[in-house]
Amino acid sequence: MSDKIQAKARELLESGQVSCFVGYEEGTRGRVRPAFVYDAQDAERLIWDDRCTHNLTVYLHQFQGSGREEPPQVGIIVKPCDSRALNVLLHEGQVTRDSVYVVGVTCNGVRVNGQPQDRCQRCAERVPLVYDLVLGGVPKTVGREDYADVDRLEGLSPRERLAFWMREFDRCIRCYACRQACPACYCSECVAEQLDPAWMSIAIDLPQKQFFHVMRAYHLAGRCVGCDACEDACPMDIPLSLLNRKIAREVETLFDYRPGQDATTPPPLATFDKEESIPL
Amino acid sequence: MNVTTRDDVTAWLDRLAERFTLIAPMAVEEQVFYRPVAGSAEIAFDFVRTDLPVKEYFLPSTHVLLSIGRDQGEIHVEEPALDGERVVFGLRPCDARALHVLDALFLEDEPVDPYYAERRERTVLVGLACREMGEACFCTSMGLAPDDAGDVDLMLTEIGEEGDGAAYAVQVVTEKGRAILGSLSLEGVEGNPPAPTVREPIPILEAEAWPQHFDDVYWTRLGDRCLSCRVCTYVCPTCRCFDVRDYEMRDRSIERLRAWDSCMSEGYRRIAGGHNPRPTKAQRLRNRFYCKFCYYPQDFGPVACVGCGRCIATCPVNVDVVEVLEDVGAL
Amino acid sequence: MTTDFEPQIVGFLCRWCSYPGADLAGTSRITYPPSLRVIRVPCSGRVDPLFVLKAFQDGADGVMVLGCHPGDCHYVEGNYHARRRYALMHRLLEYVGVESDRLLVDWVSAAEGGRFAEVTTEFTTQVRELGPWGGGRVE
Repeated sequence: MSDKIQAKARELLESGQVSCFVGYEEGTRGRVRPAFVYDAQDAERLIWDDRCTHNLTVYLHQFQGSGREEPPQVGIIVKPCDSRALNVLLHEGQVTRDSVYVVGVTCNGVRVNGQPQDRCQRCAERVPLVYDLVLGGVPKTVGREDYADVDRLEGLSPRERLAFWMREFDRCIRCYACRQACPACYCSECVAEQLDPAWMSIAIDLPQKQFFHVMRAYHLAGRCVGCDACEDACPMDIPLSLLNRKIAREVETLFDYRPGQDATTPPPLATFDKEESIPL
Repeated sequence: MNVTTRDDVTAWLDRLAERFTLIAPMAVEEQVFYRPVAGSAEIAFDFVRTDLPVKEYFLPSTHVLLSIGRDQGEIHVEEPALDGERVVFGLRPCDARALHVLDALFLEDEPVDPYYAERRERTVLVGLACREMGEACFCTSMGLAPDDAGDVDLMLTEIGEEGDGAAYAVQVVTEKGRAILGSLSLEGVEGNPPAPTVREPIPILEAEAWPQHFDDVYWTRLGDRCLSCRVCTYVCPTCRCFDVRDYEMRDRSIERLRAWDSCMSEGYRRIAGGHNPRPTKAQRLRNRFYCKFCYYPQDFGPVACVGCGRCIATCPVNVDVVEVLEDVGAL
Repeated sequence: MTTDFEPQIVGFLCRWCSYPGADLAGTSRITYPPSLRVIRVPCSGRVDPLFVLKAFQDGADGVMVLGCHPGDCHYVEGNYHARRRYALMHRLLEYVGVESDRLLVDWVSAAEGGRFAEVTTEFTTQVRELGPWGGGRVE
């Protein structure tokens, strides 16, 4: 598969259709990392295998913006989860469709340190939802969302849940890796670092960390696509997906909406239904 | 060498825990952190290196510098003082060397940082030598050895097999260390502690050779995948930047807080008026390497890296300092 | 539960409905617990869920967000947005350990002075029974 990706990237770069192709390359110590290829002859660095966990759409932003009339054309590899994130970015006007050449890859799940990921077992999409070209065979497996871990947490008493989250947030070092790895977190000034008004203090203590995570989860309501880039990036193994998926389930139950399915369906928090009655 | 048994060490640590705040490696889920422990039963003896460095106890991630209150028209200022004396047990040589690196700025350069100084003064460092280097470790490239005792007060080296029957060689390095030895029973035996297994060091470019590579496109390319988070700076034992802000509390008193800050964050170097000399990730990433390998040694003496490898292990996008050092050497 | 614990309640009241409703309760001499701290906002749709989070963090034991009845919003749609936001925020807060009964989102019109007092009294009792929130610190 890697050679097909390399061939496409080479073609896009040689023809000048893109100025950069964003994919994956072999890193150090057996790891895979994001790759930025600017010259056709470097396309041979690009690889694809089940270690390619990163959501590369987080990088699209640096090729847009800056008030440029025409953002440079970028080629990018997306897995199905990444394609959902791309839909969110397209929907929110952060990326223009014609500035991106999307190489979608079908996916049977990725592995982190050789371990299959829960999010892949829960993922309903095996073929990217948006692409200009799709590579890869027919997917062998289909995932199904299963909120068993969310249920388990909901089954605890409020005090037990509080104790659980406090224990998890206690390890947080407020490094913002979760936020920086997330394609949907693109605010030029985050609430967490705003000085005026100062929502949060600079303190790296439990109240601030609790505020940060609950705030970020809320800001992702109806926007988080469950790519788990946040959880992968966290150096302290905090189960962030357990927080984000709770909201995702509520959004789906209350508003029958799943983020990232397309770039057009109005998102639930930007719309309303006059007649609806939501148990508060 | 003087040797003692694991049982004697644990008993000694329990006694120390009664007189001092004992800070030691503790297992938390799948990770190991230096934490205050009530006794030796809470200590993790079997680890490569902790996931966070010991700097938290010398340069806390957050602490109150002073409190300013008003009481019946009188203004009073309080400086919270450190509570009691501390012993850090299980300090790896790299983390101990990192304190030495921080000393060059906080103690040896004027003005002395009184908060750091107090914590250094009131802490005894008991080292635990490494028998082998971890996967991401490269201390030998930074002029260190896994059993280097130069920066601790007492050094323990495991001899013999692992487990409860384990024995340690105990080396007294400073008088401060001798003073807490107390009744730890030691037996003099022939021989020396086993040398650790080490890997070949990689050559590190000296500080003077870095400026010539400043404008190389290498840094822009490296910066492409950087997420501009703060993981590397916060897990690093020698990174030390901080921010200071005043906050009004609910009782109208003012607290001056100091907390870790990171040169990797977008607004780190933004100055009043809005100018930001390092607006791109690539510039900030380049600056971090230059700070560690060029500016800090030129300004304060030691290179600001001890080869612990935490940044390598935690960077979400595999920015690998060993790879960077090799690449820069070949530029 | 300590019987002499007086909960600190923060109430976000909208300028067009619930705030005048509270006013009416006052001018009508209808008593309600004095532990309520009122913050007037133009519309319940202005109440950023982060305000609620911050209120809990900074010492509130209970928080109320009271707006106009759906259909009666002075700005036409603000309370519809609030309804959706709070449906989610309430569930999120509960999930991270804030008891459900500590947050009340309800609709009170400018003519409902008595109702405002009732709602506030009942909510204060509810929160008093739950005890102090204490910023979420687990003892």
